[in-house]
Amino acid sequence: MKWIPNFNSSNSLRVIFVIAVFILLFLSSIAYKHNQSLNESSKLVMHTYEINIQLEKLMSAIKDAETGQRGYIITRNGRFLTPYLYSRDKVNASFITLKKLTADNPVQQQNLERLFKLIIQRFVSFENCLKYSDPKTYDKRKLDNHMFGGRILMENIRFQVDKMNDIEKKYMERRQKIYDQEISLSPIFSISLFLTALLFILLAYRQISKDFERLKIFNKKLLISSGLMAESEIIGKFSTWQWDLDASKIDYSDNQFRLLGVEPNSFVPEKESFLNFVHPDDHDAVADSMEGILQKKKLPFIYYKIIRPDREVRYFKSTGKLLTDQQGSNILLGINFDITDEHLLNIELQERNKELEKSNKELASFNHVASHDLQEPLRKIQTFISRVSEADKAVMSDSAREYLSKIESSAKRMRVLIDDLLLFSRTNTTKKEFLKSNLNELLENAESELAEVIQEKKAIITTTKLPKLSVIPYQIEQLFINLIGNSLKYSQANLTPEIKIESEKVLSANYPELLDQSIKKFHKITFSDNGMGFDPQFKETIFVLFQRLYSKTEYPGTGIGLAICKKIVENHKGYILADSVPGKGSEFTVFLPE
Amino acid sequence: MFFFTFNKSLTIFKDNTKNKLSIFNQISYKMKLFIKFDINTICSLFLKHNLDQHNINFTSLGFGEIEINDNLDAEAMEALKSKLSPCGFEIVENQKSVLVQKIKDAIIELVFMEDSNNYKSSVFLAEKLNHSYGYLSNVFSEVTYSSIENFIILQKIERAKQLIIINEMSLTEIAFLLNYSSVAHLSTQFKNTTGITPSAFQRIIKKRRENLK
Amino acid sequence: MQKNALYILLADDDEDDRLFFKDAFEEIKIQTNVDFVHDGMQLMDHLNNADNKLPDILFLDLNMPKKTGKECLIEIKKSDRLKDIIIAIYSTSSSEEDIEDTFIQGANIYIKKPSDFNTLKKIINEVVTVNWHYHTSGLNRDNFLLRLK
Repeated sequence: MKWIPNFNSSNSLRVIFVIAVFILLFLSSIAYKHNQSLNESSKLVMHTYEINIQLEKLMSAIKDAETGQRGYIITRNGRFLTPYLYSRDKVNASFITLKKLTADNPVQQQNLERLFKLIIQRFVSFENCLKYSDPKTYDKRKLDNHMFGGRILMENIRFQVDKMNDIEKKYMERRQKIYDQEISLSPIFSISLFLTALLFILLAYRQISKDFERLKIFNKKLLISSGLMAESEIIGKFSTWQWDLDASKIDYSDNQFRLLGVEPNSFVPEKESFLNFVHPDDHDAVADSMEGILQKKKLPFIYYKIIRPDREVRYFKSTGKLLTDQQGSNILLGINFDITDEHLLNIELQERNKELEKSNKELASFNHVASHDLQEPLRKIQTFISRVSEADKAVMSDSAREYLSKIESSAKRMRVLIDDLLLFSRTNTTKKEFLKSNLNELLENAESELAEVIQEKKAIITTTKLPKLSVIPYQIEQLFINLIGNSLKYSQANLTPEIKIESEKVLSANYPELLDQSIKKFHKITFSDNGMGFDPQFKETIFVLFQRLYSKTEYPGTGIGLAICKKIVENHKGYILADSVPGKGSEFTVFLPE
Repeated sequence: MFFFTFNKSLTIFKDNTKNKLSIFNQISYKMKLFIKFDINTICSLFLKHNLDQHNINFTSLGFGEIEINDNLDAEAMEALKSKLSPCGFEIVENQKSVLVQKIKDAIIELVFMEDSNNYKSSVFLAEKLNHSYGYLSNVFSEVTYSSIENFIILQKIERAKQLIIINEMSLTEIAFLLNYSSVAHLSTQFKNTTGITPSAFQRIIKKRRENLK
Repeated sequence: MQKNALYILLADDDEDDRLFFKDAFEEIKIQTNVDFVHDGMQLMDHLNNADNKLPDILFLDLNMPKKTGKECLIEIKKSDRLKDIIIAIYSTSSSEEDIEDTFIQGANIYIKKPSDFNTLKKIINEVVTVNWHYHTSGLNRDNFLLRLK
């Protein structure tokens, strides 16, 4: 079932968002790391710079001490010794600072250690210089030695300081190099990543706006169709209900409430609430079929009555089907039709049909019984008349003989009338068994039936090949008998009767006013004779029951023969036409469907 | 000289085609055979068998006519009669009846002959029985109250009925075989003789058989 | 022509018809014995009584009280003892359905009751003659169908 529009893009949207978020997280982590390294490197520079300064301070302190010492030795003025005395403290302070700064670097620590030793030695040599320059203890050689030694130590210290500075510098350069390596690719990489994320987000935005447009369209359509549905339910007198089997929730359409004769949403539908409206006669059947829905998951058409709150009885027809939606939940969709109008009309029609059938049957059986039962006494009358022998007649009076002959001819006429009526009623009542028959054979049978008259009148009957058709054989035979018999009866006294029977296949399209266009092909069989014919103005009335064109004394007949013909042809869904030129002959045309 | 007449039993077609067995109807579980056989041969054989049993010395003259060489006494004659009558054989004693029987046999022979077309019935009968046709005709109507012509028609229609039932030939072929000028002629005569048309006859017999099952 | 008179049985509830029938048989040349029964029940009782001789030809009216001719016909054709009787339906009805139906049920002859005494004689004469031919000339009685008007 695909009755909910598909918005698949929501999934891809989700993916795009997740990717974009990851990219951004990644970018920010990289940025954080960069920051971190930058910080580190600046710290490093500071560190190196500080060590450098401290070392320079150290150096200058020693130099101060040296300069002070020299001044003192030359002048012997105590004031020159002050820098020397302070330099010790300065050296110690710098030393502590340096020790702290190089705590993470064992090589520098060692160097510092070494420097410290050198500085201590230098200070020892200062002391010695002072001692041996003192006039009390003056020793020129020793002083020169220590002065010179101090000179070398000074150089060593300078060297050591330079060494330490160099190490720091190299260390910083190496760090700088690693740092540069680490961040060398990242600007292009991060920009491209950022652009990708941006693209993704743009894509997602586009998809969202597209989906939103679609949703809007669907929503509009949904609104229209639900409006139309509600409207058509009202017009078509039907209603729908949905039964969510999983949530066991039942929803009625507005018209369902209306069909039940209440205001829309005037109650909350439950499984049993519908049954309250069902007519007691049908209550059990509807309840059963509702149970059946649960088991069979479908509802074949059921017909039942309901009673509205205002006691009006309506006829309902219902059906249902189980649907499974995209989420896999089972929903039973039901439709109720209010068929009251059709039902009442149907009942009326049925009753009228029954009545018609009954009266038709009565008429037919009346006709049959009347003519059949009338035969019996008539046959007796005729037989008894025939039993009056010539000898009996000889002793009768003239008038008695005449009356007898009148009785006889009247009885004979009545016999013909009854026979024809019986025949006519039979064309209606007998079962209409259609058999594939060769019409030539039926025509031959008809001719042998009429053999006596044909011989008597020396009639010439010419026939072309007739088709094989599915017909009621007796009736077609009767049709042929009646038509040929008719031609023989109304032949011209001084002329040999000639009857021509021809057949051809015709398209109903060629006779649009006459033939049923739903049947494509007809067989047109014409019976033409050279008889007396009739006034063409009677060509329709000639087929009416009991219609006679000649008085019965001129031509005996009942006026039923051609009516039977018409009936037979109609039984075969065909048509019969008559035409004539008085004095020249008449033509009867029969159309039989192929 | 004696004549025998015989009744026919049911479901037998008499045909001059000897020893021809035709099977034209088979039913799924019960096999149904329609057998054509020559009634004359059967009757002659049966007669011979019975006469031999009674130790009667005889010569067959054909068409149910036999000549007994000894003279039979009344008692032996009664015994023979009572033996044969349950089987539908009866001894024809009256001379005119004998002649009528001969005429009938000759007519049957004529109707069942393959080349009956070549003969005119009156000539055939006169030559066959050595009497003038007028005489034969008179005797026949005196005994049977019907004419030779009627009897010929009756026989021809009977033959036509058999042929229709066997359903091997079309009506046209049957009409030609039985020397009718046209199908219409046959149909007309069939209808006049039996009151029903050949097709109705065929239909009725077919339905009657179905009805019997 | 026959050593014994032909035995004819007519089943018809109509007294006048029985009278016509009797008179007609009396006037034809062929020697016959004619018996009558008045309805279907009586007919079957008569036929089923083993003491009674079976008729050579049974004339059967279709429209009879108690048991119709058609019922009798079907019963007769079902009985092994009776099924070979030549049956001539003798009825007022000329409905093709009735005619074909009775033939199918096994009737040999169908006679529409004529309205003229001479026709009746003619018909009876023909029935008897044809029947005699069937009886004496080796004709297949299964094919014995005759319809007379």
